[in-house]
Order: sequence, then structure tokens, then C-alpha cells
Amino acid sequence: MGRIKKKGQSGAAKNYITRNQAVRKLQISLPDFRRLCIWRGIFPREPNNRKKANKSSTASTTFYYAKDIQYLLHEPLLQKFRDQKALEKKISKALGRGDVTDAARLERNAARPEKTGRPPYTLDHLVRERYPTFVDALRDLDDALSMLFLFANLPSTPAVPAKMIARCERLCLEFQHYLIVSQSLRKSFLSIKGIYYQATIQGVDILWLVPYKFNQRVVGDIDFRIMGTFVQFYMTLLKFINFKLYSSIGLVYPPKFDQNRDESAAELGAFTLEGNAAKALADASAQPMITEGESEKSTDPKTQAAVNKLIKQMKDTGVDGQQDVATTSTDAEDAAIDKFEPAAPGGDVLPQPVHSSGDPGQLFANCTFFLSRETPRQPLEFILKAFGCKRVGWDAVLGDGAYTTNPEDPAITHQIVDRPIVQAAQDSGDNQTAQKLGPNQRMPGRIYVQPQWVWDSVNDEELKRPDLYAPGAQLPPHLSPFVQSTHGGYDPTIPLEDQEPEEEALQDSDEELESDEDEEEEDEDEKADGDLALKAIKGAAADGMDVAGSDDDDEDEEGGEGDTTFGGFSEGEDAEADDAEAEEEDPELQYQRELIAEMTGQPVAQKPALNSKAKAKADARKKLLAQAKEEAEDIERAKGMLSKKKRKLHDQMMYTNNKKSAEDQKLREKRRKLEKQKARQAPA
Amino acid sequence: MAPRSQMKRKASTAAAEAEAATFSDDEFGDGVLEGVLSDDSEDEENSDDEAEDVDGQDDEDLDSDEVPSDPDVDEKDDDENDGPRYRVEKDANGGERYVYDEIDPVYDSDDSDAQDPENTIGNIPLKFYDQYPHIGYNIDGKKIMRPASGKALDALLDTIEIPKGWTGLTDPATGKPLNLSREELELLRKVQMQEIPEEEYDPYPEYVPWFTHEEETMPISAAPEPKRRFLPSKHEQQRIMKIVRAIREGRIQPYKPPEEREQDEDEEEEMYDLWANEEAQPPHVMHIPAPKVAPPGFDLSYNPPPEYLPSKDEKKEWEETDPEEREKPYLPQGYDALRKVPAYDTFVKETFERCLDLYLAPRVRRTRLNIDPNSLLPKLPRADELRPFPTVGAVEYNHGTRVRSVAVDPTGQWVASGGDDGAVKFWELRSGKQMASIRISADEPVNVVRWRPGSAILTAAAGQDVYFIISPLLDQEVQQANRAALDTGFGYATNGKQATLTSNGARKDPPGTWARPGARLEDQGVLLKITVRADVKVINWHRRGDFFCTVSPTGKHSAVAIHTLSKHLTQIPFRKLPGLAQTAQFHPSRPLLFVALQRTIRVYDLQKQELVKAIQPGARWISSFDIHAASGDHLIVGSYDRRLLWHDLELSARPFKTMRFHPNAIRQVKYSRSFPLFADASDDGTIQLFHGRVHNDLMTDPTLVPLKQLKGHKVINNLGVMDIDWHPTNPWLVSAGADGMCRLWA
Repeated sequence: MGRIKKKGQSGAAKNYITRNQAVRKLQISLPDFRRLCIWRGIFPREPNNRKKANKSSTASTTFYYAKDIQYLLHEPLLQKFRDQKALEKKISKALGRGDVTDAARLERNAARPEKTGRPPYTLDHLVRERYPTFVDALRDLDDALSMLFLFANLPSTPAVPAKMIARCERLCLEFQHYLIVSQSLRKSFLSIKGIYYQATIQGVDILWLVPYKFNQRVVGDIDFRIMGTFVQFYMTLLKFINFKLYSSIGLVYPPKFDQNRDESAAELGAFTLEGNAAKALADASAQPMITEGESEKSTDPKTQAAVNKLIKQMKDTGVDGQQDVATTSTDAEDAAIDKFEPAAPGGDVLPQPVHSSGDPGQLFANCTFFLSRETPRQPLEFILKAFGCKRVGWDAVLGDGAYTTNPEDPAITHQIVDRPIVQAAQDSGDNQTAQKLGPNQRMPGRIYVQPQWVWDSVNDEELKRPDLYAPGAQLPPHLSPFVQSTHGGYDPTIPLEDQEPEEEALQDSDEELESDEDEEEEDEDEKADGDLALKAIKGAAADGMDVAGSDDDDEDEEGGEGDTTFGGFSEGEDAEADDAEAEEEDPELQYQRELIAEMTGQPVAQKPALNSKAKAKADARKKLLAQAKEEAEDIERAKGMLSKKKRKLHDQMMYTNNKKSAEDQKLREKRRKLEKQKARQAPA
Repeated sequence: MAPRSQMKRKASTAAAEAEAATFSDDEFGDGVLEGVLSDDSEDEENSDDEAEDVDGQDDEDLDSDEVPSDPDVDEKDDDENDGPRYRVEKDANGGERYVYDEIDPVYDSDDSDAQDPENTIGNIPLKFYDQYPHIGYNIDGKKIMRPASGKALDALLDTIEIPKGWTGLTDPATGKPLNLSREELELLRKVQMQEIPEEEYDPYPEYVPWFTHEEETMPISAAPEPKRRFLPSKHEQQRIMKIVRAIREGRIQPYKPPEEREQDEDEEEEMYDLWANEEAQPPHVMHIPAPKVAPPGFDLSYNPPPEYLPSKDEKKEWEETDPEEREKPYLPQGYDALRKVPAYDTFVKETFERCLDLYLAPRVRRTRLNIDPNSLLPKLPRADELRPFPTVGAVEYNHGTRVRSVAVDPTGQWVASGGDDGAVKFWELRSGKQMASIRISADEPVNVVRWRPGSAILTAAAGQDVYFIISPLLDQEVQQANRAALDTGFGYATNGKQATLTSNGARKDPPGTWARPGARLEDQGVLLKITVRADVKVINWHRRGDFFCTVSPTGKHSAVAIHTLSKHLTQIPFRKLPGLAQTAQFHPSRPLLFVALQRTIRVYDLQKQELVKAIQPGARWISSFDIHAASGDHLIVGSYDRRLLWHDLELSARPFKTMRFHPNAIRQVKYSRSFPLFADASDDGTIQLFHGRVHNDLMTDPTLVPLKQLKGHKVINNLGVMDIDWHPTNPWLVSAGADGMCRLWA
């Protein structure tokens, strides 16, 4: 017989510890505990059985994993916190004594992160502990990047001093430089929140969100101390990641930072990337220095531009050469994946990565862009450069670091414009900006596109048709590249007919029919003199022709063509009465038809055609209904044999599935309506 | 003289009064207060003196007594020693009584030891003497009389002038009032007030400031300063040397130069490869990585497909809902150009909330079932494979009033129904035509109709009567044969009038009276009537058609009755039932009778006349049950608490399957005799059909498949379908509804 187990000595009661207990155990204040938790990545847990974990107390508390707190006990930062606290006490004591010199001496030892932007301790070891491998760190980079990019755009607060924000900005720009050089940006998406970017580094997908360049509105009670704590950690993390990334592609980290250029809003251009010395020695022919967006001294713009162009080309080759060196080593091993074809039938086919024809990283390699002054420069510059464009120029008001600021530069192939077409163009002789072009004036040989063209091209990995994105044109919808279409889900890229289920299609045709009937009625009112019987026949005739004609897709046109007498109801002329109505009407119609036939002496000819069509539809619907009913009955029967628990589970699953499909259905309905509207407007 | 003084002494011995010292002469002279005399020796002497004073004129001899002389005493003693020491007196009864003289302790008369008249009762509580006039005995064995006490006047006097030291207490040792002196009272008070009892003790003495801040001009002590005050401390020297050594060795730095903060800031932090020697660790079991933010969908686009844009109603709804309850925190919006996109209002807030989630939200690992919900459903045989079974209402029989019972005749051609109007109606099964209607009771509803197996005799129960009706639809020959079957019993002596005597000889009601129902009914084919003791609700025939049992739930011990048609005999098999009988049925092949009580079904062996088993369906109120005809080992039970239970009698007393598909009570359950089907009728107006196949192999469980819900009967007064019956040969079902309709389902 084993030892009698005591309550509260093992299991959940021992594994979990409440927050208050943890704070008391660590002997620190709550804010310090919070900071430690954020930095060490310690989070509350939800025990399986709260009652057991809480030792039968019902008070609602937060639980931490006891081992986590145990690890915290050995945290070197704890000592730092205590030292800090002791120092503060000493200072206040000295001040209390009136010993100003002593206080000042001590003050010099104290860390004032709100002034210096730097805490008195480093978080390096935390980064290493939390992310034992580099890939682990990359995996957790999403939140870090979103946060740092946000803070790079935020005003400073006591919790997040200006220096910290400047550091955030630098780190972000350095990271962007890496992405440009390594060409690892994959996708980007313009959302209402900001711009989403996705990069793939060492096989890890990283998705982050960058806000648009506006003053961020700070609403509600937002505790910047908490955010500041996160930012401190993320800065350390990104710093080391940047270092690792830079050194992995043979660049020196940190890159040279030009304060002056940064002050003149050069942003990405304020950095100068340097190759590693060892690398440079190995590759003597390649230029050791790569300067990005070197500024012109603007003595003579034209000659300078030409010189620049030459230099750029040289540099490009230099960069290319270097990259070739970097990639040839892999190429030499013949990294291309062989295609595996099943030799004999019957085996399973394993999915293989598709070998894309063109390198997406070189999408814009042959283009020279010019950004108009109303376009967002930073994201465009970044995304264009990340996809291989070397020459991005912009209007001088957008800041320093442009390839060219001259909008008339003949090298420009694409100009990105985001302004409406102004009808009255009268400012031909603008005295202030002589070189500037008029609002609607176009330089020949240049493609004018809206910014969305860049994003859509990037996401589709091909240059889109520019005429769709011409200034002032109605843009095609901008779709998220991150959505993976699921089977049965709504996909806006696929035509409606291909994705709607059968019953919806039928319903759709019914609706069409109803709307047509409505229209018909309207027409009736208009043409009151039209004989009802005759009209019915005409309608029937039109239907007959339609059937004889062809498929439903071109129904509008055909209806229009076929029905010459009734120009009024042009669309959906394959209108049959819907199921019940058809049945009701049929004998009546038949009778009328016979009467007319008698009168005119024609044989009753069209009837079978109409009926066959209507019947086919009715039959299909009936069949569908019957099938659905049968299925529902079958499910109901089978559900009856389930246990209560399983039945509930089944109901839950069905509920979520139905909810999802209801959403899809709603979208389809909306689209159907919109398409119809469009179709109606088109002929008119 | 001497006798007199002796008498006085004797009187004095009887007294025990402390206040004797204050006696006045008059009082003394008065004989009444004789007993109050003290026997204190001093007092005695005093009293003697006084007495002598009083009686001075009478006895001169007594003067000599004033100065007692030893010789006299001796003489006296001697005298006394000579004569008898007692006197003979006459007591109250006139008898002789010896009265002994008082022993006169002459020598000891001034002895201080003997001064107190000790009460010798010892440690006995004084209350033991409460009934007696005395309170104990003195050293001489004389009674110490209870001192006079409690005279009202005395008490009054006492209250008026409280003597000194009066406490109101009585000394338990003496029984006298306990007086305390002033000091004693003060002591008591101090003890009571928790003060220090000792007098002259001052708890707060005046503080004498021996050591003050004022410096004295002269030293208090004139002792010279010790030498050690002028020598350096060796211990301190050691400690200092220790520190000096540490400083010399550099272990302690006497002055830490302040860190140069300003310089530090400009310095670039040292950079190194944090993951230089990385080694992958398997993640901790308890570590749950934070879930990533969901990637944006189409609706977040600045220029989404138009179907994603909300309509006016959706917009309004979104705006009206509480921000906490919104499904999405944003509203999709479309802009036709990028320059028109404004800042996202809640960007910082959302980032902050994400931060809060990261460090505050408890993380739980949830396994999401990513399976097709239909995979949970069991694979049932398709309904088509289980055909034939009734699916649609084929024929309707309009009875008019609520139909309580319906039965298909053994040939399968006719249907009989009995309703609230007291009429039994005969219908043709296929056409729904009413063939005959016999009103057997004017006021009572027909509770049940059942065909006798293998013949055209219908039994119908209305009230306490069970009627035998010969189907009027048959030809004369068959009718005649049936008539004969009914009449055979009339020859028996038991014929309806068995004389049943109870134990005390009183004539008891017969359990059933068999008789002709009367001329009017006889003309219509109702030939026989049994009257039992209570309203009959259930009739069930034995398969041979000779016996049938009736159940009248209100009939207490005679609830279940077994009738023998061939002998016109009614028997009551149970003297007492452990509950309300609901229904009863014969086993299809063995001589067993199943009786359903409210909660249990009891199986009785009719031959051995014993209980075989009790089945516990677990229902709260059984409404009906049926036994599987082919196997006889399976049972379905319907209950008013909406359950349908399948029992395997071989397996267990508990149900094999419990089916709860009805929202309302189940009234009737029936097995089909020719198909593997069974059905139940419920108050919700539906009939549920099940496929129930019993396998010959004992190891395989019966297959139960729900087949169909037959809907058609209306629910009236919370009553739906009242009764069902299967067609004997076809997969058809006849049901009786509370809406006055009978239906054939085919």
C-alpha cells in the first residue's frame, strides 16, 4: 500500500501558482514582475481544473506555471532591479540630507531610460534564453516588427523616449535594407489598417503591419509603460537578428548611418551598407562599397543624371556580381529541384515546389520609377527596391535619397501617380516649377500607373496590365494575397457560376425569373393594349428561341435579339414560371395557346420546347429538394442513434459550418446582385 | 442554692448565643430567654454574678461563692461524688427522667482553650440541620441550638441600625452573622478592585533621576580611568589590517570612479552573434507559443471587391452593436484611390491590446476537431434496404370523437375502433368505409377494443364492463360458430355466480359477473358481458383465444383479472400488487404473465405461480409494453416520461437501448407480428417507426434503426395518437388519434 497522498501536495495544486503568490515569492513589486514576465515571455495559464489549482478556493485569480516562476528566481535582472531600487533610495536619502554633491554623484550612476532611451541593463541573455535558435527568433518576429514599425511612427512619451523611437526607426530601416538586399520580401497588401508585408527568411514566413504615415491617434487608456517594456525587448531582439542577418549575407552591421542625410528625410538612403572585409578580399573585383541612393550634388542636372546613370549601372553590376558570388556557390551544387514523375501508374503523387520561371525578386529590375509627390514614398521605395528596382526617383519634396528628382528624366520608364485627372488644364506656364509638368501632361514613353499596380504586380509576381491601373481609372479590387481559398468557401477571383452550389444556382434563376416577371408586369402596364394571350405566346416564343439558341450565360443578349416585338423586357428571357406557378399556369396557358392556334390555324408548336425546359428545371429542383430532404432525414435518423455527447458535438460542428457557409452565401448573393445591376446598366 | 445554680448552668448549656453579653437583668429574669444564655465561661461567670446579684437577698451563702475557694469546690465535688449524679424528674408524659448535672469544669473555667463552644459536626454542611432546632453538638455532646433568627422585628431593627462591620453574610462555621472589621473590608475591596492589597505600597513612587543630562561638576565615581581606555584596541587593529590588506590586494576598491554616462551613450553597443553556437532545444512541454495574428482577409483591403462592402443595414447594425460584441473590430471600407485612405483610428489601441494579450491572457492548448461532422454519425443501413415499412397515411377512418382504441381483425380485412362516444365502429380496412356501429355504452367511453385471436369476436371495454361482440360483417355460418364459442361457458357451474366466501364468512363480490348484455345489444351481436370491479383499461388475449386478461388500474388488488372464456370464469391471480398495475400481457409462447406496474414489469409463471423476474426499465411511469412475438425475449416499453426502451430479457433487467425521440409522453408501443418493425404512438401527434431485427444468434445484438416519423394526427388537449395496431400480414399500421380520426399507414 502506498503512502497516503495529502491534498495540495502534488498535481495542479503544486504546478500552478497565483500571481500574488509569485510576486511575494520573488519579493518584487508588481510592475517589476510585469516587466520580467514580458521579457521572459511568461504568460498566465488556464489550469484544467481551476478548483484543484486554487486549492478549493473559488476566488478568481491568474495562475502562472510554478516552474516559470521558479526559473525567474535565478534571473540576473532581479538583482539589477534591487540595485536600482537601492540606488534610488540612496539618492532620495542624500537629497533629504541636503547633500547635493553626493546625490549628484549617485545620480550619475543611475540609469534614466526616459532620458537616455537605454535601460541600465541589457536583455541579451533573455533573447538567447527565449530563442535558443535563430529560427525560433524569426518565428516570433511578427509582433516585434509590427510594434517597432508602429513606434518608429509614434511621438515620444515619458515611457518611450525620443531616443528609443529613433532607435526603433533605425532598426526598422536596417531590417528593410536587409530585405532589399536579400530580396526576401514576398507579398504585400494595402489594407485599411496599414500595409501588410510578408517576407520569407530562412524558410520562416514573417508577416507584419506598418501603419500609414499619419499621426497616430491615441485613444482610450493605453499604458505606454507596458508597450515600452515590449519595445525594449523587441529592440534588443531585432538588433541581434539584424546583426545575424547582415553577417549572413556578408555585410557589416551596423551599417554606416549618415545623420545629415537622415535629417533631410533620406530614410533608407541614410544608410551605407559595407561588405565584410574578408568578403571584400575574396572578391576583389567587386566594389567593396555599395552606396544606396547616393545624392546628387546637382551642379548640372542633366550631366549629373547621365553620370549617375553610368555609376548606377556600374554599381548594379557590382551588386549583381556580389550576389552572383553569393548564389553561384549554391548554383554550383545544382540546387534546382528535379522533377519526379511517376514511372508506373498507381503511386501517390507528392507535391513539389513549383519552379517559377522568373525570379520574383527581379520583378522591377528593368524599370526606372518616378514617384509623384502625392504618393507614399516610403512604402513604394521599399517595395520597389525589394523587388529588384535599382532606380527609384521622386519629387524633391518627398525627401532626400532619390535616384533622380527630375520628373523629365528620360530614363524613367514608369511613373506612379495618384491624382485625379483634372479637366481644365490651364497652368502650362507655371513660373515656380518650370520643370514640373502640368497636371494632365504626360511624358511620352512612360507608363503612368496608380500605386496599386505595384502591389498587385508584386503579389501576382508579374507586371500587371498598366491600362487597368491608369490614373483616374476604376481600379480592380485589391485582393489579399494571404487568403488561401478553401473548398466550398467564397472566392472573389472565381466566377460565380463555378463556385455556387446547385440549389443556389437554381434559386438564382428563380430570382431572375421573378425580377423578370416584375419587369414584365411593368411592361404590361406600359403596353396595356397588348393582348395577354398573345403576349404569353410571344414570351413563350422567345423562350423557345432561347432554348434553341444556347446556354444561359448569354441569355441577356439572346433575349434581346430573339424578342423583337418586346424591346422592353430584354433580360432573362428564358424566364419560366417558377415551379408552382408554372404548374398552375400551365393548363391555362395551354388552353389559351390552343385557342390562338385555332384562330390562326397554326399548329401548337412551341409548347413542347418551353415545357421541356421548364420541366427540366422543375424536375431538377424537385429532385434537389427531394434529395436534400432525404439527406436531412438520413442525418436525423443517424443522429438519433448517437449518444447525447456526440450529438451535441455534431450540432456544434454543424453550427460553425453553417455559419461559415451562410457568410459565403451572403457574399455570393451580394455579388450576384451587383453583377446583375452591372449587366442591367451595361446595355443602357 | 447549688441546685439553683446548677439549673442555671444547665440552662446555660443549652444556650449558644453570642450576644449574651448584652443581656439585661430583666431579660435574664424572664424565663423565656433562658435558652439565649451563653455558655461562655466568662459569660457564665458574669451571669452567675449577676444572678447572685439578683438573688442576693435570698441567699447569703452565695456571697461566699463570690470568692470561690478551692476547698469549697472540692467539698462540693466530693458531695456530688457521693450522691447520684443525676436527678430524677418527671417528664411531660409523667415518666421518670434522669437529668444529669452539668459537669462543672471548675478548674478549666478560665481556660482560654476551651473558650469557644466548638460545633463538633465537622465538615458536614450546615444545611443538613435545617429541619432541626439545633445546628450541631458541642464538645460535651450537647445540642447547640439554632440561634433565634429572622424575627421580623429583629430584621427590621437590624436594617434600621446596621451594626458595625455588618455584612449580611452568615459565618458558615458558626451560623452567626459574619461581621468584618473596617480593615478587613478595605482589604476585600482592594482585592475586588484588583489593587495591590498590601497597604503602604506605592506603585508609582516618585522618580529619582539618578542619571540626568545635567552634568555634574564632580564625578559620581571617584575611581580612576582604567588603563585600557588609553590603549589602542587590538581587535580593531586586526579588522583594520584586514581591510588594508584587501585594499592592497585590490579586493576592495576604496573609491569607485563614477561611470561616465554621457560617453557611454555615444558608444555603440557591442555587437556579437547571439546565436553563434546555437543548439536547438525541444520546446518545453508546457510552453505554448503565442498565437499569431490572423493574416488580413479580402475585407480588410482598401479597395475590396464590392460584395465585401457592408450594406446600409449592416453598417447601421455594426455601429449599433457594442464594440465588445462586434464580430469584427473594423468595418470593411472601399476607397477608389490610395491617397484617400485615412489613418486607422484604433491602430495604437489594437497594438496595445495585442501586447496585453501576449502577457496577460492565459494560454490554453485546445485541440480543434478538424473532422467532417458526418463522420460522427453511425453508418446506418439505408432506409430503402429496410423496406417495406409504412410511410404515408393511406386511408382515414373518421370516428367522430376521440378514438381511444383501434384494432385490426385477425384476417386483416376489418378495423374496429372504440371512442369517447361509447360506440364501437367497424371499418373496412382498405376502403375506409364504415360497416357497422354499435353503441355499447351510453355514458362511458370505450377504453379498449381487442379481437380475439383467430376468430371474429371483438372484446370491447367500457367502464367496468367487457363486451363480446360478434363481428356483424361476416356471413351467418361464421357468426354461428362464434356464437357457440361464446355460449359454451354458460353450462358451467361457475357461471358468473361463484360463491366466494371471505374468511369471516361474509359473501364477497364475485371478481367478474358473466351475463347477457340485454336484448337491444344482443340484437346487434353483443352476446356476452363481464362486469368486473373497476374500470377496465387494458384487454390482452392469450394466443389461444381462451384466456384474456384485463387490467383496471384503479382496482387495487383486483386490478389484474384473468378470464376464461370457455368456462365463463374470472380469476384474480394476485392477492396484492406492489404498485399500480398499468398493463398486462401473456407471453407469446410460454405460460408467463407480464404485469407492468408503474415502474417495474414483473414476470409471473402461471403454472408454478411464482414471480420469475422483475424488469426495471428505469422509466418513471410505464404506459405500455409489448413482447417480441418471434423470440419472446425482447420487450419494448413505452413510458409517459417520453422514453422508449428496448429490453433484452436474457441480457439484463436494465434496458438495452433507451430512445428519447419524442417531446411528449409515449402512449402505446407495438411490435409488428410479421415484419421486423415496431412503432410507438406519442402525445405529440407522431408515430415513430423503427426497424428492430432480432437475430437468432445470441451473440449479436438486435439491430435498431429509426425509420420514420409518421405525422398526421392533430394534437388536441395535449393528446395526440392514442393507440396503434399493426396489420397481421402486411406492413401496415393503424393508428387512433385524439382528433377523432383513425389512419392506416401503408
